[in-house]
Amino acid sequence: MASFKKTQIRSLPKIGQKVTADTLYWRKLNFPVTVKEFGPIDYIDVMPIEPYFIAVSSAAKVQIYNPITHQVHRHFTRFKEAAYGASIRSDGKLVVAGCDEGHIKLFDIGSKSLLRIFKGHKGPVHRCKFTADNVHVVSFSDDKSVALWDLPSETEIIKFSEHSDYVRAGCVSSISSDLFLSGSFDHTVKLYDARSPTGSTISVDHGSPVESVLMYPGNSIFVSVGGTELRVWDMLAGGRLLARVSQHHKTITCLHLASDGKRLVTGGLDRHAKIYDVQSYQVVHTLDFPSPVLSLGITPDDFTVVAGMANGLISMQHRQTPAEARALIPKQSLKDQKKSQTTYRFRLNADFRNINRTFNPATDVEVATKNDNSLVSRYDMFLRKFQYSKALDTVLGKYIRKKKPAITVGVMHELIRRNGLKSALAGRDDSSLSIILTFLARNINDPSHSKIIIQVANTLLDVYENSCLTPQSEKLFLHLQEHVNREVEYMKHLMEIEGMLHILLASTTTQTRRGPVNIGQGPPVKVMLPSAAAAANATMVYNVG
Amino acid sequence: MANKKARGPDKAKTNTDNIVVKKQEDAPDIVKQPPVFTDDSRYLCIASGRQVGIYSIQSGDKVHCLKKHSFDIIGLGIKEENVLYSCDTSGDVIEWDIKDGKLLKKTSVAVDGMKKFCSFYYPGNGMFLLSTPSKNTNGSSLWIVNSTSEREIFSEDIRKEPQSVAFGCDQGNGSLVIGALNYQCNGVLVKDMNSGAEKKHMTDKRKFTCIALHKEKLIMATGDISGRILLWHDFVNQIRPVKTVYHWHTLAVSSVCFSSEGEYLYSGGSEKVMVKWRLEGKHRQFLPRMGSTIKFIVNAPDNICVATSHSDNAIRIIDSTNKINQAIFGGLIKHDPIRGLEDGESKKESVMPTGLVFDPRTQGIFFNSQAGFLQLFDPLRGSMIFNMDIANRNVLTDERNTIIGNAEVLRVAVSPTGEWLATLEVWSNMSAGYHDMNLKFWRYDAVQANYELNTDVTMPHHDRITSLAFQPGLLGTEYPCLVSIGRDLKFKIWRLVDDTDIYRQKESWTCDVAGDFRKMMPTAASFSEDGSLLAIAFQDTVTLWDPMTINLNTTLSHNLIEESIELMEFGRDQCFRYLVCASKSSLFAWDVISKGLVWKVGKLRSPIRCLVPDPKSSYMAVVLQNSEVFVFAPSSSKPVHTITNVKSSEPIAALFVPRPNPLANSPEWLVNSRLLIVDDQQEFYSVDDNSVCGFDEKLTTPISHIDSLPWTPFSAIKAQKQISAAKQIVPVIHQTNGIKGYKSVQSLLETSTSTLPPMSRICNSFMIDLMIKHDTKLMTVKADSENGATNDLPTLMNGHIESKMPALKEEATQQKLLTLDCQWITKN
Repeated sequence: MASFKKTQIRSLPKIGQKVTADTLYWRKLNFPVTVKEFGPIDYIDVMPIEPYFIAVSSAAKVQIYNPITHQVHRHFTRFKEAAYGASIRSDGKLVVAGCDEGHIKLFDIGSKSLLRIFKGHKGPVHRCKFTADNVHVVSFSDDKSVALWDLPSETEIIKFSEHSDYVRAGCVSSISSDLFLSGSFDHTVKLYDARSPTGSTISVDHGSPVESVLMYPGNSIFVSVGGTELRVWDMLAGGRLLARVSQHHKTITCLHLASDGKRLVTGGLDRHAKIYDVQSYQVVHTLDFPSPVLSLGITPDDFTVVAGMANGLISMQHRQTPAEARALIPKQSLKDQKKSQTTYRFRLNADFRNINRTFNPATDVEVATKNDNSLVSRYDMFLRKFQYSKALDTVLGKYIRKKKPAITVGVMHELIRRNGLKSALAGRDDSSLSIILTFLARNINDPSHSKIIIQVANTLLDVYENSCLTPQSEKLFLHLQEHVNREVEYMKHLMEIEGMLHILLASTTTQTRRGPVNIGQGPPVKVMLPSAAAAANATMVYNVG
Repeated sequence: MANKKARGPDKAKTNTDNIVVKKQEDAPDIVKQPPVFTDDSRYLCIASGRQVGIYSIQSGDKVHCLKKHSFDIIGLGIKEENVLYSCDTSGDVIEWDIKDGKLLKKTSVAVDGMKKFCSFYYPGNGMFLLSTPSKNTNGSSLWIVNSTSEREIFSEDIRKEPQSVAFGCDQGNGSLVIGALNYQCNGVLVKDMNSGAEKKHMTDKRKFTCIALHKEKLIMATGDISGRILLWHDFVNQIRPVKTVYHWHTLAVSSVCFSSEGEYLYSGGSEKVMVKWRLEGKHRQFLPRMGSTIKFIVNAPDNICVATSHSDNAIRIIDSTNKINQAIFGGLIKHDPIRGLEDGESKKESVMPTGLVFDPRTQGIFFNSQAGFLQLFDPLRGSMIFNMDIANRNVLTDERNTIIGNAEVLRVAVSPTGEWLATLEVWSNMSAGYHDMNLKFWRYDAVQANYELNTDVTMPHHDRITSLAFQPGLLGTEYPCLVSIGRDLKFKIWRLVDDTDIYRQKESWTCDVAGDFRKMMPTAASFSEDGSLLAIAFQDTVTLWDPMTINLNTTLSHNLIEESIELMEFGRDQCFRYLVCASKSSLFAWDVISKGLVWKVGKLRSPIRCLVPDPKSSYMAVVLQNSEVFVFAPSSSKPVHTITNVKSSEPIAALFVPRPNPLANSPEWLVNSRLLIVDDQQEFYSVDDNSVCGFDEKLTTPISHIDSLPWTPFSAIKAQKQISAAKQIVPVIHQTNGIKGYKSVQSLLETSTSTLPPMSRICNSFMIDLMIKHDTKLMTVKADSENGATNDLPTLMNGHIESKMPALKEEATQQKLLTLDCQWITKN
């Protein structure tokens, strides 16, 4: 005895954004909490350890936010003019910030006291960073120089003045305390080694003013952004260009790593943040913001995404916790609970990672295949019993017909195959007839369903041809007719355009190609269009697996 | 015809006499006759063609094959324990010993006046029931023949089907009642053989289709075309017996069967559902979706199981808990012809729409099995390799007045490497004017050892696709390419494209080019052998295209060719430049290099059915509708060989199948391959040399061995023969004990220094004693491999492949001299 095969539901893949694991992951961010500051948000830095405080530099102050409460935890206002590039030390105790007057100020987060002031730059310092050993600070200044400072003695150790324009970007290596990178408006990115005071070890040309640089944790690759381009460089090969990616259409301003270093995020003036896969540099997701993005911060666990914008807005987005997700969609949660009771095997495969289960799944867990009969849908149950009307009623429920019309159409298709459509449509009362008519009118324009819907509409007209209808149903029939007429109008327009295109394509093909050779006494050549029709022929292709 | 034979090549003439056409017996039809259980219910006897197969019920394996009949078997019967009767159409009755498969006795019941028989029953007591076809009607006459060759007519108007005669009703007093269904006047005829009471029962206009009598009780069941089952009580004596109605089936009941206690009744029909009725209380159980129409139901004597014969050439054994326990397949699954096709479609489209498609990977043949399924058949072993569900849909059954079609596989193409399989499945409802079409691409997964669906295209063309062809001759680095032509006047080129992104690696098929030509209907498509040229026939015109760029190279047409081309094949091997085309009644060849018509043969006696090239030689074969076969080389119109004695009904498909070993002393076209032909009854015929015998089954295990020992739990686990894969451990003998070279050191130390020979003399032997001896073989192999490393290079460099087909030049060529030779094939 062969098992009952499920009704095939065919749905066309939607054109546009594909649903991937990444889009699902990044879509789980909640509605943002926004805080308004007075000036543009210059820089955001995230404390690398819990509680992941966020240092925001804007205007003449540096504020430390608590990412959970969105409240200001500390703020440092001892700047005469604008403060720039506040960054937190890896142990979370100190914060260092540059300012317009060329000083670098070091604060204690716990006591709010100003501990050190490093003086020596002649121009504003836009970026400053702690090195990996936590006792030095590197500063990048508008006086075209990069300097390394000693924390305990408050003195300058070394200074490189190789750039010919403002140095507005910089970063330090996370492994070596001697390596740091600077990016300047003179289009170059330079790598310095504090052990070789003669000058930079690598210098590469980015092609446009560098806005931000980033070194990968492995110390072998660094990334620079500037203009609309992202460039990836191989450090070990002496600065060989690995990739050039241009996904923004305005200047890229900031750069951040996410998802444990597996994803790279760039923010730009075009109000988008793009998330890339670090292996292929393909965009996997895009986040939208209301204003040009100047700075980005992402907590190491990806729980909070903070973006600072040009109009002074700070947007903080949290990832949904499972409880929140359930609270948002109560109906689905009920279903999920039911599912979890019956077929946990699905869950094991789907999101085993996210659920901290105490047991380990056996390696021979059976993967539910598409022919698994444990989950027979209600419509399949009715189809199996040859109860066609009931099967159609099931898929005309509000949720299915509105959210998943592919299922309704799939069952209609099966009914056509079984020659049971007529009996399923016949003898319906006013309300169920109106549901069908509304469904038909709504979906008759959908190219992926139209073939079946037209067949259903024809059958419906056959069935109710001679019966008395209420005015309401009559109105709906007319409504359907209106939809069809409109569609026919559209099609006519499209055919006209297609015809125009055909002429254009035909003229190009005849110009480039010689006329066909005719041997013997066959009929004379009229028109030949070998490949022109290819584009016009829409074939629906489903990819399986 | 005689004239033509004389003109054939002389050298081949000596051998061609041996070429015969044989019917393949490897894959017999096992469901023509109902199977018979042995008395101990352990074996099932199945008649198939001229043989009887004895199958074990527990394992489903064939234990004996009884082959002594020279005609088709028409019925089986159990005489007593382990003795089986079988009867063939000529009236020869053979008694067999079931245990060891020996022939016990051969008698003939053919009495004068009766030549041909159509069914045989054995009710017992040395009495046979035989039926002969009646002269006037489509029915038959039933005869009661005693072993003493007395015969007596029972009735002259009996239905032909095996399930229309039944016997039984022992009633504990040894009586015998025979029941039979009338053919013309629609009634049931019953006769008590002891008392001689005879009754004829009639009901209404519904025609009876099957009858069953219980073995002991006096009850009878009949099924009719409306699906109603009637149970008759005391029907021998009463004129109007009491009837009980059991009605669940909507279609005609094809078989009914009582359980041996008479508690249950089994029935089945085209719904593919077996219904088990409890006669008291009308409770019923169903066994749905049995795969195919039920033809016969037979109950085992000890009530252990029921065997059902299905139209897909399978017998399924169902145990008492209503589960299918075993299935016995008769080699091939037969395809139910597609109904409700448009007029004008040939028989091939209905019976075997895919034709025979060769699979280079397994050396098997793809063709249709059940609706929506595809089977792969191994012609060498005569067995099915697998049966594959293409449509993945529930099989739908008809309603009483409406035919409900299923999705059918209409076209199949296999890529030259066998990696890809393209299938076209179509479902259509002509009355509603609605049809579905799916083009599916399957990839063979060598790890999983099955085909995986890669791409599924809905409605690849707007109208029915008529041909699919993969591009041959591609190197492994290129993406494969498929051409499809359809009745929507278009041809489409499908290519595999890389669709990989960061989440998964994926390849899928998409339509690369869709084209048409002067709004003419494409009728055939073929690639040249090296894949460098694609020919598409549009009615009477042949167009040649470059498959890579889809540029039109040439159109070929001639005023001698007026009919639409239906079949087209490029020549192989030396005849690569010829393109052989077949229209309904003529055959002609184009030379694609000189662009001229080379020859044409017109006015054939019968329409051309198949045009098949031999992949291993340059020859081709043409099969006509009247079963004539012509083998020819595309370069000339003269046939190399002609076969007129194919005893098949209308052939529908043919294929050259390569042989594993070349056949010596045979004409060139038979050396490496043989020709298989399928007729509309889905029987296979092989055109082959007489010396080649078919695949022989050797069943070496006689039952008597297994049965002679009483069954114990230990006997079940005891193997018949012991074979061990474990290597026998050979004890390792150490060649040296103790310290290496101990002896020589000892002798050196013990001898006084004054008596020692000079150091230069003893040094050599002393050192050798200390050394561990290496195997000398090992050393030489190493040295060889070092030398051999450089030898590989030249072969690699020579490995490039040249295109056989020279590029076509665009100059307008003169029409070639035309040789017209119509004599060899037309009747003067």
